[in-house]
Amino acid sequence: MTEPFTKPKTIVSLEMKEATGIHELSPTEREVMSLFDEMRKPLLRYLGSFMLFPADSEEIVQDTFLALFQHLRRGRARHNLKGWLFRVAHNLALRRRRDDQRDRQSMSPVSIQPDECIADPGPDPEAQFSDKQTQKTLLAVVEALSDQDRRCLYLRAEGLRYREIAEILDLSISTVSVSLGRSLARISRATEG
Amino acid sequence: MRDDYHLSDHELLLASDGELSSSAASRVEAHLAACWTCRARRQQLDKAVVSFVRTYQRALDVQVTPVDGPRALLKARMGRLAETRPSRWQDWLRHPSWRWSFSALAIAGLGMLSWLVWPAISPPRVKAATFTIPNADLTPGAAVLIGREEVCRGSGIKNKQVSRAIQREVFREYGIPGAEPRAYEVDYLITPALGGADDIHNLWPESNATTVWNAQVKDALEDHLRDMVCSGQLDLATAQREIAVNWIEAYKKYFHTNHPLGGAYRK
Repeated sequence: MTEPFTKPKTIVSLEMKEATGIHELSPTEREVMSLFDEMRKPLLRYLGSFMLFPADSEEIVQDTFLALFQHLRRGRARHNLKGWLFRVAHNLALRRRRDDQRDRQSMSPVSIQPDECIADPGPDPEAQFSDKQTQKTLLAVVEALSDQDRRCLYLRAEGLRYREIAEILDLSISTVSVSLGRSLARISRATEG
Repeated sequence: MRDDYHLSDHELLLASDGELSSSAASRVEAHLAACWTCRARRQQLDKAVVSFVRTYQRALDVQVTPVDGPRALLKARMGRLAETRPSRWQDWLRHPSWRWSFSALAIAGLGMLSWLVWPAISPPRVKAATFTIPNADLTPGAAVLIGREEVCRGSGIKNKQVSRAIQREVFREYGIPGAEPRAYEVDYLITPALGGADDIHNLWPESNATTVWNAQVKDALEDHLRDMVCSGQLDLATAQREIAVNWIEAYKKYFHTNHPLGGAYRK
């Protein structure tokens, strides 16, 4: 015979938790959460240049924002927090890559797959096909870039200026500029056919 | 201006990105006003930028998981950090001379300590804790607001890989902070295939050492409940509640047995 059920436990929905506010946030926590909402996606996209597992990238983003929380609590500089976040995430990702190389697994990390290309929704199947082909070509070009060129490109796509990219990647501004020029010339050649 | 002079890609890119000095930018603009070849080249480069940004955002955005789970985790982790005072000792350790002195002292101290004390102690063996049923306070279960149609669409919603940070957090909450990750499967209480949320309140460390009521048995229950929901024999909210309240009792109830069926458990 089965035993009677224990007392029912609440099913917590995420929306309910948000609404009831389990933990009252301090102004610093609110600021960090607001930056998290704004910057999580750009940071995850940039971390795509490191070819990490998605769960590892997510963990790096968490650690980056916890570091930001500590940074703000200690009253440190608030100048260009966006650049600061990219720099910390970059350093953590480099460390993770080093750890992964030391402890390499048989699985390969997830990178952008051509099958994930999404064509522009439209009535013309021929245009959709061509759009998808262009994306595949472009992704192949980006995959073939050096790590440094790819990171410069990703950071520029996230709206960072050359000086900021140079600081994050520890390069000179002229190296960033040459790297971007080289990458775009390749992309241009490939997409022009 | 010489007829055969054209701007380099490098100059065109710097100009488009607003990275030139004002005098150099004016010179480039004046050249572009006169030179169709360079204007055409600039357009090609701009087109390359547009193609790249569009592909980059689309291809990477599809890999980004919903923000709710990571957001809740960050909030919880910040809340815990907020309970501690921000330590200042790291600040003075940033100073190079202090850092070297501290490192030298620490190494010397550790060496001395291990020489004196190590033989007298042996590392305690941590006995692996076994969790067949999650702790209701730590893992009440969390569901996202989706309907039966979404749950039953196609082959269903797949479980997401639980990150190492979240695994560590679950181990810490369950009082096994140094647990060997291979000894446990950090599992969803309400499976995402039944609308379970990607949230720490829905995760618990299921012991791999458990031989009878183990993860495979729970998987069989999850599949069975999803089939019942999709065939209209059970409503989704009931299935979620039953599995969250006590998944073993739910198994017994819905499989009409007091023991796991078939080869789902390891001898």
